[in-house]
Amino acid sequence: MKDFQLLTTRELSAALQYLASGSKVKLLAGGTDLLVDLAQKSHRLAGIDYLLDISQIKELKLIRVRDNRLEIGSLVTHTDLSENPLTRRYFPMLVQAARVIGSTQIRNRGTVGGNINHASPAADLLPPLLALRSEVELTAQGGSRVLPLSQFVTGPYQTCLRPDELLTTLRLPLPSPDYYGSFQRIGRRKAVTIARLSLALVVRVTNGLFQDSRLVPGSATPYPQPLARVEAALNNQAVAMLDLEEMGRLAGEEMVALSGERWSTPYKKPALASLVKKALLAIMEEVAADGKG
Amino acid sequence: MEKVKVRLTVNGNSFCLEVGAKERLLDTLREQLRLTGVKEGCSIGECGACTVILNGEAVNSCLVLTGQLDQSEVVTVEGLAQDGRLEPLQQAFIDHHAVQCGFCTPGMLMSAKALLMKDPHPGREQIKTALEGNLCRCTGYQQIIEAIESLTGPERE
Repeated sequence: MKDFQLLTTRELSAALQYLASGSKVKLLAGGTDLLVDLAQKSHRLAGIDYLLDISQIKELKLIRVRDNRLEIGSLVTHTDLSENPLTRRYFPMLVQAARVIGSTQIRNRGTVGGNINHASPAADLLPPLLALRSEVELTAQGGSRVLPLSQFVTGPYQTCLRPDELLTTLRLPLPSPDYYGSFQRIGRRKAVTIARLSLALVVRVTNGLFQDSRLVPGSATPYPQPLARVEAALNNQAVAMLDLEEMGRLAGEEMVALSGERWSTPYKKPALASLVKKALLAIMEEVAADGKG
Repeated sequence: MEKVKVRLTVNGNSFCLEVGAKERLLDTLREQLRLTGVKEGCSIGECGACTVILNGEAVNSCLVLTGQLDQSEVVTVEGLAQDGRLEPLQQAFIDHHAVQCGFCTPGMLMSAKALLMKDPHPGREQIKTALEGNLCRCTGYQQIIEAIESLTGPERE
């Protein structure tokens, strides 16, 4: 690995200036992935000129509500995310997902922006963030653009972030009271484990019918993406009459259609079906408790 | 290679250090400051032997570059005892036989200390969560948990 220089700044404007310089710059925030790459001399760090530490830029550590959206700065750590009163109030699913990332030490350093930018097929935050229809704000010296997160992640470990851009903020539309969600996760053991399979499901319930469904599995497809066929099959179904087996079966089939038959398919197909059923059951119980079923 | 200048407070003492671009907090503590209570186990954030308290939170010192830490505050296991007297947490580890080979102990102590700083009355589940990033290959977890529990008093409802 060639030698690189470490640059640090507390100012977003200075960071953007470095990124615009045309040198090969790699961003460093929480370091929980990057320092592992460094220890293992990963090809992901090959040829970089500068490592740019952005971990001390305070303005990217905010969580606030603005324009009916929750804004999460990209440098918010998983610990901050799961302990924040606003996240806990509006997005318990996100809290649930953030709390099982790595270990306490990892969650104290690892950032939301890093989890998204790394775009791992097993990224814990991507399924819930996609199901919640998040948008990302990408900022460069010349200005910023806002994209749906579903367009930002373009492949396994791939995003459409330009070399001069920095992911600054995540925006989540605040849910109305008729939205329900469930997050499910399987790991090989209880803690400090990569998700073997996960699932985020968000639905609206109107007049006893599922609407506007969004179902995103993790560690199931080359990169986390919605299962559009299951969503379509779910919409307009009566909550009380739902065929859970059928929904589970459809999800397994759609996963295989997206990923192809793999060595893990005999395990993951029924396991995903089971997660879909669990998520739907959890939501059906909640809807019944609210007297809306 | 250009060095980075960093002002760091470690166990209450201020240091002005020059560090390399790839120098981890773990390296600085062990090599520059000779604080060898910080242990290097896996080097990839899995084992927690290198855990220290950074600005009030437990972190793996193998996953932080010292160059990132200007004006930060670090506490290592060497910073627990005051005036030659063990911190109650250290005494509790001794009293509950929570030390076997001892390699994981400094990391365990720092994870436990960070927890107690944040919440003086954690329940058993919180203690387990605080320690989930610390491996003990002698598998003496039970005694470690009991040592910490002995300091927490009645569980908060």
